[in-house]
Amino acid sequence: MANRRLLVLGLDSLPPYVLYQGHDGGGFRYIRGLVSDSRRYILRSCKPPITVPAWMVMFTGKTPGELGIYGFRHRKPGMFDAYIVNSRYIRYPTIWEEASRRGLRVGVFGVPPTYPPKPVNGFMVTDFTTPGPEKRYTWPPWLKREIEERFGPMIFDILYRSSEKDRVMRDLLKMVDKHLRVMEYLLTRKPWDLVVYVEIGIDRAHHAFWRYFDERHPRYEHHEVYSGVIPKVYSMVDEWLEKLSKTLRDTVIVIASDHGVKPMHGAFAINQWLEEEGLLRLKEKPKKPGTDLREDMIDWEHTAAWAWGGYYSRVFVNLKGREPHGIVEAEEYEDFVKELAERLRGIRGPSGEEWRNIAERPVDVYPEVNGDPPDLMLYLDDLNWRPAGTVGWPDKYLPENDRGPDDAMHDWYGVFSVYDPEGTIGRGDAGVIGIEEVYSVLSSLLFEKK
Amino acid sequence: MPGREERKHRYTTVSIPVTLYNRIKELIKDTGFTSVSSFVTYVLREVVADMEREKMESETISEEEKKRILERLKALGYL
Repeated sequence: MANRRLLVLGLDSLPPYVLYQGHDGGGFRYIRGLVSDSRRYILRSCKPPITVPAWMVMFTGKTPGELGIYGFRHRKPGMFDAYIVNSRYIRYPTIWEEASRRGLRVGVFGVPPTYPPKPVNGFMVTDFTTPGPEKRYTWPPWLKREIEERFGPMIFDILYRSSEKDRVMRDLLKMVDKHLRVMEYLLTRKPWDLVVYVEIGIDRAHHAFWRYFDERHPRYEHHEVYSGVIPKVYSMVDEWLEKLSKTLRDTVIVIASDHGVKPMHGAFAINQWLEEEGLLRLKEKPKKPGTDLREDMIDWEHTAAWAWGGYYSRVFVNLKGREPHGIVEAEEYEDFVKELAERLRGIRGPSGEEWRNIAERPVDVYPEVNGDPPDLMLYLDDLNWRPAGTVGWPDKYLPENDRGPDDAMHDWYGVFSVYDPEGTIGRGDAGVIGIEEVYSVLSSLLFEKK
Repeated sequence: MPGREERKHRYTTVSIPVTLYNRIKELIKDTGFTSVSSFVTYVLREVVADMEREKMESETISEEEKKRILERLKALGYL
């Protein structure tokens, strides 16, 4: 038996600015009280601060390097195309697997990436990486039918990069409402000692509506309806937790995020920069702006490096012996990467202003480097700018994301607060905690006899 | 090639709690299942086959499905 029941409520991308500094638009009325009675940490996310791998870093206690997961997609050395990771790539036990192993009953909902579901001693509903509700997305397998009979097909995600904000808002509220109703059902009907519930809707609300919410945003705009969407999503979660609190009397409640969020200043076409620097050559000029970089577009005999975009950039060296048309000699590799990192750090903003860029090699970041890491990892201007991998733009500085409207970038700092109704854990601000350290806090709450 | 001993032992024993055994026994009364063992074997076969299918699908996705996933991740801004 567990000492205490533990509920981990994961609010994807929730920053301290909202939860601790009270900029929640009035949405977190109940949770704010809970957090003020909690032990509060500023959570330092991993590198990269992205949903995959961040949640799995939290729930395994392993760095992205140890997990060998550096984002959603990876490339095998010598291959241009990417492969996508799923739950089967997670080689270390998660907190719920460890709890299962010890005979505790667990529940997992929405933790990326848990699709395809693995057996647990309890229940699991997979996350937004699930291809669709036609797939087997629960453990046990028949839980899917039980859920769908009561709530209809599961909604795993919404497409939020759209100018149809009314549609995005409707889809978002519908999805979050469904998740909350399913979770209320599972939490009150199933036996459990540990439940981990990640609500991705918070992150989607931030990306779609942050500039209508955060007055610090460079393109902040008050809107009668849209400015209320983020507080509305917060309040849905808030009211849900308050309603459930009667059944959670002795439960330790953890509120956590995987990373924070900040206004996006713009996007930077990293491959166009590499072209300008003479490190990448295309066979011909791309026909339209925003063209994805394809293998057949690159003049490999004259290309030393190329990059992927996203919330951070992964830069690959065209290394001889590893890549099919490699031109960088193995003995030059170390010096080449050092020099390239230096040049990447020196990238400046659109008006020539200095940026706080981070360019580093995986071996310098992690205690162990597994899987298929890039040669360099690049974060632009302390994450204010998003690296775009697409090409063909008239200017390498783009006012908007190359993948469609987006208001937010990820930030290094999220939240981690522990509420103990019996007051044995202590309250107040507890400083900074690394996301990979959370596992040991959770396991001590669950497994250590108190 | 399985050894002689292995071929001889085509069944093995799995322990389940007695209360669960009794619940199953009650559940299968007047059904096509003649024993708890046959019911448990049936249920496990179903679950295991389902898991194996899902595992195989997740490990060998078609080019078209991969393209769809990549497009979706792009639309979500992760790539």
